[in-house]
Amino acid sequence: MKKYERITAIITSLGGVWIMVYAWRTLKLGSIHIPDAGLLPFLCGVGLAILGIVWLLVLQQTKGEDKGVEEKRIWYRPVISLILMVIYGWAMESVGYITSTLLFVIAWQKVIEREKWLKTMIISLLGTFAMYALFVYLLKVPIPPEFFAR
Amino acid sequence: MDIFAGLINGFSIALTGTNILFCFLGAVIGTAIGVLPGLGPAATIALLLPLTYVIGSPVTAIIMMAGIYYGAMYGGSTTSILLNLPGEAASVVTCIDGYQMARKGRAGAALGIAAIGSFIAGTVAVVGLTFFAPPLAEFALDFGPPEYFALTTLGLLLAVTLSGGSIIKGLIILFVGLLLAMVGLDPISGKIRFTFGSIVLQGGFDFVTLAMGVFGLGEILYNLESTLKTEIVTTKLGKVFPTLKDWADSKWAIFRGSVIGFFIGIIPGGGAVISSLASYAIEKKYSKHPEEFGHGAIQGVAGPESANNAASSSSFIPLLTLGIPGNAAIAMIFAALMIQGITPGPFLVAEHPDVFWGVIASMYIGNAMLLVLNLPMVGLWVQMLRVPYGILAPIIVLFTTIGVYSVQNQVFDIYSMLFFAALGYGMRKLNFDPAPLPLAFVLGPMVERSLRQSLLISGGDLTIFVTRPISGTLIAVFVLLIVGQTAFFIKRKMGGKKPPAT
Repeated sequence: MKKYERITAIITSLGGVWIMVYAWRTLKLGSIHIPDAGLLPFLCGVGLAILGIVWLLVLQQTKGEDKGVEEKRIWYRPVISLILMVIYGWAMESVGYITSTLLFVIAWQKVIEREKWLKTMIISLLGTFAMYALFVYLLKVPIPPEFFAR
Repeated sequence: MDIFAGLINGFSIALTGTNILFCFLGAVIGTAIGVLPGLGPAATIALLLPLTYVIGSPVTAIIMMAGIYYGAMYGGSTTSILLNLPGEAASVVTCIDGYQMARKGRAGAALGIAAIGSFIAGTVAVVGLTFFAPPLAEFALDFGPPEYFALTTLGLLLAVTLSGGSIIKGLIILFVGLLLAMVGLDPISGKIRFTFGSIVLQGGFDFVTLAMGVFGLGEILYNLESTLKTEIVTTKLGKVFPTLKDWADSKWAIFRGSVIGFFIGIIPGGGAVISSLASYAIEKKYSKHPEEFGHGAIQGVAGPESANNAASSSSFIPLLTLGIPGNAAIAMIFAALMIQGITPGPFLVAEHPDVFWGVIASMYIGNAMLLVLNLPMVGLWVQMLRVPYGILAPIIVLFTTIGVYSVQNQVFDIYSMLFFAALGYGMRKLNFDPAPLPLAFVLGPMVERSLRQSLLISGGDLTIFVTRPISGTLIAVFVLLIVGQTAFFIKRKMGGKKPPAT
């Protein structure tokens, strides 16, 4: 954990410096009488640069590793689900809301939850129907049309 | 309009069929997410923000959102008592004695006193809100840009320092939130900031995508890592109505919890979590039998549960009177008001008395509804824990995706929500408290506008912030807070002890 925290602290500091430069050169700070668009971003950049360094110093002085999370955690499930969500967002416009939603829930149940086909299909069909009924039928939200109905 | 006339007007609004229905819906949803571990009130309100576009009336939308917030405080105690698993953060401390009571076969009494304490404290806090908010709003009418700058910066700093997590990480999130709020067109100079050539970013990030990403999906992603399975509840509830002895033992704890919760709730960053912890500490310190705490003391349930409910109601005071959200859930309600075209602040009472008094009156009704929902029907809520997370998670994802798409009918919003979801997940992985992020995002434009306006008014004279009595006092508190925190940090380091957290 400390290794990742160190990396984040360095990124925070460097990000702060980049924001300072961007605010100074591109946005312009203006004067104290008439401040310009870059003033507050510059101050935020200064804050981030300093905090990153302070964090790094505190990490250096804290001896020993963190206790870590006692419970076993599976890191790949959130990563895969995030990838699935990105594909779902793209598919929604490409193939339509109903088709993409159905495929997304099937993929979720099979890849993330590793469910059996029967349960997967029941959850997918019911989930898609419930979303359609709530958002399209009841709340009248316009959804991307299906690819076969365009 | 005086307070009583306003309240009567509020009840006439809150008691219409639609508003009663949405108040009930808010109470039911709030209790449900309070019972379910892993989904807090801030996340749920964030998930439901797109619905506010559909609900035409602002007062109806806010009545429902408020119901979710204080309803979650009622529901949160259920899993703490029955499973030793807090339904939401403010109920963590209830686990200590609540679960011990359940193990001794007194789960019903614990749940009963939690619900009754919550009802009494919630009502006490709403009475306080009724009488405290209008004069405060009137006082705030005199505020100019320097006062608003001092107030918002102090509020943000308090939110970071009182959140209980690492101050360094809290400040980093605060700056990130401020910077995210600056993306797009600068309202004063008209310059484009941080868009990197993207046309869709010129309008800035939408609060709904940020809130749903960081709180809704971010929480889902983090929970997906967990291998923890919820056990099916087998605990026998017994009688949910406390005995006369239970009442005698806990009445003062409820009273103290109500008062502590009310005042801590008003402070930005205070909120339900700190008030429940403070109440527990006070009950233990002043108890004649402190040794019973941790072994099923009923005061250990009554005090904190009362305090978190009182705080959830009183945290509406800075929102409705000053336009300052004190915690993440209230920041969501702030956004819901903005979506409806209403700017919360001192003018709210005069310009939108229907919203101001309607929401306050609905809280009286909502608290009564929650007592009924939680006392006799507690067994029903427990059954909700049988819903597997594997089904709940994809449903929430579907809900957020179509919800965020419905705001502007553009897929870009889905991608920006996923960006914030990844950010929220990363923050949780690195032990960052995400609460200051929405606060900084919603207060960012106010901080910048008031800072630049103050400098323009004073011709660049920085003493404008300290020479005016209200802003001067607020800045003094701000400086004292920074000096105090720095001195505390250095003292700890000099003493050779580890800092609380980095």
